[in-house]
Amino acid sequence: MSPEAGLYVHVPFCSTLCPYCDFAVNLATAARRSRYVDLLLTEISLRGKPEDPFDTLYFGGGTPSLLPLSDLRRVIGTLSDIGWLQPGCRLFLEANPEDVSEASLAGLRQAGVSTLSLGVQSLDPESLLLLGRSHTTEVAEEAIVLSRRAGFETVSVDLIYGLPGQTEERLRRDLEAACALSPDHFSCYQLTVHEKTLFGRRKNEGRLEEATEAAQSVLFRLTHQVLESAGYEAYEVSNFARSPEHRSRHNQKYWAHAPYLGLGPGAHSFDGRTRSWNERSFFDWERRLRGSELAVAGREELGVEELLLETLMLRLRTREGLDLSDVEERFGVDLLRLNRALIDKGLEDELLVLEGSWIRPTLDGLAVADGLAVSFRLAPAPWKAARV
Amino acid sequence: MSSDLVRNFCIIAHIDHGKSTLADRLIQRCGGVADREFRDQILDSMDIERERGITIKSNSVTLLYSAKDGKQYQLNLIDTPGHVDFSHEVRRSLMSCDGALILVDASQGVEAQTLANLYVAMEYNLTLLPVINKIDLPAADIDRIREEIDSDLGLDPFEAVPVSAKLGMGIDELLEAIVHKLPPPTGDPDAPLKALIFDAQYDSYRGVVTLVRVRDGRIAAGPRIRLMHTDKEYVVEEVGLLQLKRVKTRELVAGAVGYVIANIKAIRDIAMGDTITDADRPAAEPLPGYKEAKPVVFSSIYPISTDEYEDLAKALEKLALNDPAITYEKDSSSALGFGFRCGFLGLLHLDVVQERLEREYGLALLLSAPSVRYRITLENGETKEVDNPALYPDPSRIARTEEPFIKASIMMPERYLGPIMELCRERRGENLTFHYLAQGRVELTAELPLAEVLFDFYDRLKTLTQGYGSFDYELLDYRETKIVKVDILVNGEKVDALSQLVHEDKARVRALHYCEKLAETIPRQQFRIAIQGTIGAKVIARTTINAFRKDVTAKCYGGDITRKRKLLEKQKEGKKRMKMVGAVEIPQAAFIAVLKSDES
Repeated sequence: MSPEAGLYVHVPFCSTLCPYCDFAVNLATAARRSRYVDLLLTEISLRGKPEDPFDTLYFGGGTPSLLPLSDLRRVIGTLSDIGWLQPGCRLFLEANPEDVSEASLAGLRQAGVSTLSLGVQSLDPESLLLLGRSHTTEVAEEAIVLSRRAGFETVSVDLIYGLPGQTEERLRRDLEAACALSPDHFSCYQLTVHEKTLFGRRKNEGRLEEATEAAQSVLFRLTHQVLESAGYEAYEVSNFARSPEHRSRHNQKYWAHAPYLGLGPGAHSFDGRTRSWNERSFFDWERRLRGSELAVAGREELGVEELLLETLMLRLRTREGLDLSDVEERFGVDLLRLNRALIDKGLEDELLVLEGSWIRPTLDGLAVADGLAVSFRLAPAPWKAARV
Repeated sequence: MSSDLVRNFCIIAHIDHGKSTLADRLIQRCGGVADREFRDQILDSMDIERERGITIKSNSVTLLYSAKDGKQYQLNLIDTPGHVDFSHEVRRSLMSCDGALILVDASQGVEAQTLANLYVAMEYNLTLLPVINKIDLPAADIDRIREEIDSDLGLDPFEAVPVSAKLGMGIDELLEAIVHKLPPPTGDPDAPLKALIFDAQYDSYRGVVTLVRVRDGRIAAGPRIRLMHTDKEYVVEEVGLLQLKRVKTRELVAGAVGYVIANIKAIRDIAMGDTITDADRPAAEPLPGYKEAKPVVFSSIYPISTDEYEDLAKALEKLALNDPAITYEKDSSSALGFGFRCGFLGLLHLDVVQERLEREYGLALLLSAPSVRYRITLENGETKEVDNPALYPDPSRIARTEEPFIKASIMMPERYLGPIMELCRERRGENLTFHYLAQGRVELTAELPLAEVLFDFYDRLKTLTQGYGSFDYELLDYRETKIVKVDILVNGEKVDALSQLVHEDKARVRALHYCEKLAETIPRQQFRIAIQGTIGAKVIARTTINAFRKDVTAKCYGGDITRKRKLLEKQKEGKKRMKMVGAVEIPQAAFIAVLKSDES
């Protein structure tokens, strides 16, 4: 497990709001946008220097590509100057296809961005329309090609599948079209309809039908099959890399329970034991910082059972899986002994494989990672202990 | 008061024929109770009794009635439970009476249970007075009912008093008829004391309050008494009449009905039907009527939440203070934890106990499939009685098995005879006979295994006869049978709480039913779940629950892991109520669905 911490910067602006998105975003005025970087620098100075410098810096959103290059340089420059970044720190940035040009990509390269994640979502015009994206198929394709040429270490493409009415055939065409442009990495997210979004409202009103579990299962497996046969390895439920060095060093920290610090509205931080989160609205985030205090809205200290459940939930999302001896060392809980029947059944049904002290999910196991994580007994059942 | 002015009587009726309403009306007419207080004081005092319209524990009341002849009479109305499960209580109640009102519904007519109780009443030489109730109903047909009273009951139809207990019509006429048509008690006030204990109540301050009918002699506070069957002695502390509340009197004399308090700690300490006599001047022999109430239906009761075991233990103990007919002993199941194996007088008794435990003690319970008690003779000649599948011996050691049979009496309109005979045959009925009672009505008698009546027999009967059929039974004997133990396996693991003893011809159907119910109620999991019904190593039924194929949420990054964990915690919380069998989580709802559903 990587002990090194990651730094996340949330850029909460979008030019339009996508009907499925439930992140902390807003359509900010130019004035608010211009105040954003100053506020961010205030937050940085209030936080104080971390114990160890970060080895990843991730600009997520929102739409970080809306940030003027000069602002971006200022943030990176400051962090670097005050010693928050390790030498060789990887820089990640999410960008919308319509925001990138040869010139802007070159600028991002120069600013030190090593991995560019393009919010393509789909190359199918009908799907793009449904998703309310402001780019066209051509713009997206062009963005991928230009990014590849710009010389980033990793170009990643974000896709969404499992849209209402999406057939296997349409998804296959979409995936194959994206593979043809040979990005280094894919994040393929199955559409989740969140309640407080436009999609959620449509669903409640019966105007949007979410894919059934059976259909989701088929599309999930199709996505994995198409990308794997195109040479991408699924290293997590939704993430695929052309080779191990293209895996997201930053996102892997979340799944490894590594520490991270989050800056910006709604950003989360974790120090291995305590998780805290910033004010979600820009207004509150700004108000708190202007009052010269951290904009932390809440925090929780995780108990052993909580850490254990998170470990299971996160590790079972990865193909690498879970190291039982590491769990025993960290938490003093012998998961294998407590869950022999469950693990045996998982092995028998080929949801899991056991290699040494590691349990690794198969593809079928990844598909039911949440259910598996919940099924694990974390401590002996009290009534069983009471039995004679 | 002279015993000429006393009348001891009960009301015999079928469920729903309005017995409690009539009792209420008599109480009201004789005064002493304001309408306002009335609700809390009527005979059926338990909630369940009132809601289900049945009387479970009998209660009794003394009414003072000023008759038209200018004299005041003491009318002892002795309540009888209205269900076959409680027939031993009925007998005891009848034994304390000299007369009985036979209540017949003006539209439904004579029912099996009425007839059964009538025969018992005749055994005890009670004077019978027919009463036609619900004459206010549009469907009332008094002439037809008079005909049934004549042909089915063999009573004088012109003695019958038409009433509407609901509207209070005919009550005065009925009270006059009680005074003039029912006999006063007989008995010798100077003979040695003989008093029949026909009921008892538990009072947390006074201990057991026994209700007695004094046959001979007299009883008052002070002297020592002896209970002739249990052979225990007590000192009488108080005697009196039950006039809705206890009214202390100096003594109870031959012919009287009243209560006796004698520092008895628990209802278990006395036997219903026992005879009280004077310890210093005992009667030669007890009154007839003592018969032990033996449980015939058994089921294991578990608390849904295993930490409520202690509460269940306490609740059963308290319940048994008032209901000595229930038996219980510790039991345990690997799927359901600790519980109690309980014995009941019948299915309704089981229902009532379950409901009281749930309602009065706030417990959530699971009950295993009810079973009868089998008599098993082993190869080595040893015999044992087995009602718990867990204790069923190795079949290879069994020489012969016997099961209890009942004699069922079913009354219904003629047109349903075919389907009901079919139902009885389906339930392994033997010696089916029927005879016509009156125009268009038949009584079918059949000898049936009690075990076959435990599963949805009442419901099927009601459905097939569109509600017009009535059912009564008495235990007959034990007969040879072929029983198998059916186990239910979930992914190869036995769920012990679902094991049951079944006749071999019914095993497959019952096993399949269980498998299907489980398949409907166990949620899909990440694994394929195989559910099997087996006899020994032989699989006789199976179903499968297909695996969940996809449940993982797409996104888990950006650090908001707390939110996702909370979602999983919620799911995990739901699983706490589930029982693990191997790797399979079985929700309580599945046990409930399987164990509660009686359809085959």
